[in-house]
Amino acid sequence: MTLAAAFDHPVTVGIVGATAAALAAAGATIGAMTLAGRGSPELRRELWLRLGSWCVLLPLMMGPVLLGREWVIGAVTLLGLACLREFDRATGLFREPLTAALVVLGILAVNFAALDHWYGFFVALWPLTVGVIGVGTIPLDRPAGYVQRTALGLLAYMLFGAGLAHLSFMANDPGYRPILLLLLMTAALSDVAAFTFGKVIGGPKLLPATSPNKSVSGALGALAVTTLLVAGISRSIFAGTALGQPHWLLALGLVIGVAAQAGDLMLSSMKRDIGIKDMGTIIPGHGGVLDRFNSLLLVAPAAFHIIAYFVGFGLGAPTRLITGG
Amino acid sequence: MMEFHLRTARDHALAPAARLQSLSRERGLGSLVIGAAWRALLRAYLAAFHRLTVQGRENLPAPPFVLIANHASHLDALSLSAALRGDAARRAHALAAGDTFFRSPLASAFAAYTVNALPIWRRRTRAGEIVALRERLLEDRLVYILFPEGTRSRNGVMATFQPGIGALVAGTPVPVVPCRLDGAFAAWPTHRRLPRPGRLRLTIGPSLTFDAAPSSREGWEEVARRCEAAVRSLA
Repeated sequence: MTLAAAFDHPVTVGIVGATAAALAAAGATIGAMTLAGRGSPELRRELWLRLGSWCVLLPLMMGPVLLGREWVIGAVTLLGLACLREFDRATGLFREPLTAALVVLGILAVNFAALDHWYGFFVALWPLTVGVIGVGTIPLDRPAGYVQRTALGLLAYMLFGAGLAHLSFMANDPGYRPILLLLLMTAALSDVAAFTFGKVIGGPKLLPATSPNKSVSGALGALAVTTLLVAGISRSIFAGTALGQPHWLLALGLVIGVAAQAGDLMLSSMKRDIGIKDMGTIIPGHGGVLDRFNSLLLVAPAAFHIIAYFVGFGLGAPTRLITGG
Repeated sequence: MMEFHLRTARDHALAPAARLQSLSRERGLGSLVIGAAWRALLRAYLAAFHRLTVQGRENLPAPPFVLIANHASHLDALSLSAALRGDAARRAHALAAGDTFFRSPLASAFAAYTVNALPIWRRRTRAGEIVALRERLLEDRLVYILFPEGTRSRNGVMATFQPGIGALVAGTPVPVVPCRLDGAFAAWPTHRRLPRPGRLRLTIGPSLTFDAAPSSREGWEEVARRCEAAVRSLA
C-alpha cells in the first residue's frame, strides 16, 4: 500500500485533512483559553483531556482505514471484543464465562469471514452463532437464568459481532476508504451536532427518562446535519452509480443519521436500566469504548445493506482468499 | 428460577490501574483464560522442580471457603492455588501483601491476572476492607488463600496466627480449610532471590466452621487459635 493509494480519493483527503484541521483548531482554541485564563481550570482540564483522547482515538480509527483491509478487519475485531468486554461487565454477563466465550468465538468467526471475503459464511454465521449461543450452555444443566444469559449473549453477538463486522466486510471493496471514513466521521459528528443544537436551541427533551440531556432540537438538528453531510459527500463517492441520484443519497444520509442516534439511544436505555453513567472508564473524558462508538453499532449494517443494494461491495475482488473454493 | 441478575461488575466504575489494586475486582473471561494457563504452567513447574504431592484433597468443600496454611515462602500461595480444581480454582483469590505484590502497575497486573491476588496492606488495613472481603466471600462464593501468620517465616518455624482470619469468618458458615506445606522453606527461604529444586508436600485437613464464634476481638482471637492448632495438628 502506497501513500498515493491510501489517498487516491478526494473524499479521503478531505476527511483526513478536515479532521487534522479540526484537531489543530480545537488545540489552538483551548490553548488560547488557557493563556487568557478564560473558563474555569476544571473546564480547561476537561477540554484538554477530551482533546487528548481524540488525538489518540482519531489516528486509531483512521490509521487502519488508510493502511489497508487487513488492518481494518483487525481493528474492527478488537473494537468488537472491547465493546463486548464493556457490555458483559456492565450487564453481569461476564459471570457467565461460557456464554461470553461463545460470543467471542462468534466475533472472531464473523470477522474471519470478512477477512476471507466469503459472504455466504458471513451471512450464515448470524443464525449459526445464534444457534451455538442458544444451545452452548445447555450441557451445564443449569436452566436458571438461561433466558437472560442467552438473550444478552445474542444481543452482544448481533451488535458487536455481526453488526460491527459489516465495517470489516466493506473493506473488501477497493474503494472502501472514503465510505468507511464517511461513516466514522458521521457517527462522531452526530453526537457533537446533537449536543450543539440542543445547547443553542434548547426546547423540550427527546426522551427524558432514557437520556435526560438529549433534546428534540438536538436530535432534529443532528439529523439534518448528518443527512445533508452524508448526501453531499456521498455524491462524490457514488457518482455515476444507481445510488448517485440525489433522492437516494438523501435517503442514505437520513438512514445513517437515524441509525447513529438510535444506536446512541439504545446504549442510553441499557445504561439507565442498569443504573450506570458510563459503560467503561478506558477513554479519559469520554467514558468507555461503547460510549464513544455507540452510534456506529447500527450505522454499520444499515449503511452496508443500502450501499450493497445499489452498488455492492467488492464485487470484482477475489473471494475466499483463505479457504479457497 | 430466573437466577441471573442484571448486576454490574463491582469494579465497573474504576479506572484500569485502580481496578487492579481493588478488593472489588471481579474476574472476566480474559482473566479466567490467563489464570487457567498460569495454573497449568504452575502445576508443570511444581511437579517438575518440587515434586509437589497433595494429600487430603477430598477435604476441600464447595466454595465459599478459606484455605489457610503455614507461610515460609513465596511457593506457598502458588502451591495452594495449584492444588485447587474447577470452580474453586476459578473463584480463588490469594490475599497477598500489597507492599510486595502491588508496588507497581506491572506487578499489580501480574498478581491480578495470574493468581488473582487481592492486596492486603500490612499495618494499614482498614476495617472497611475486612468487611468488604467478608461480604464478597459470602455473596460471590469466593475462595480465599490466606496465611494467618501475616508474613513469611524467617527461620522455617511457624509463628502465631493473627486474628485477621477471625475477622473474615467469625459468625459465618464459611468453612476454613487448614493446610500444611512442608519443604517450602528449604526450597525458597526468605533470603534467597530464586527457588531451588526441592520436594513439597501439601496436606489438606478437615475443614472448621466458626458460625457460633462472636464477631468481636475475643472471637477473632479464638478463631485464630483454633486455626493455628488445626494447622499444627497436620504436622
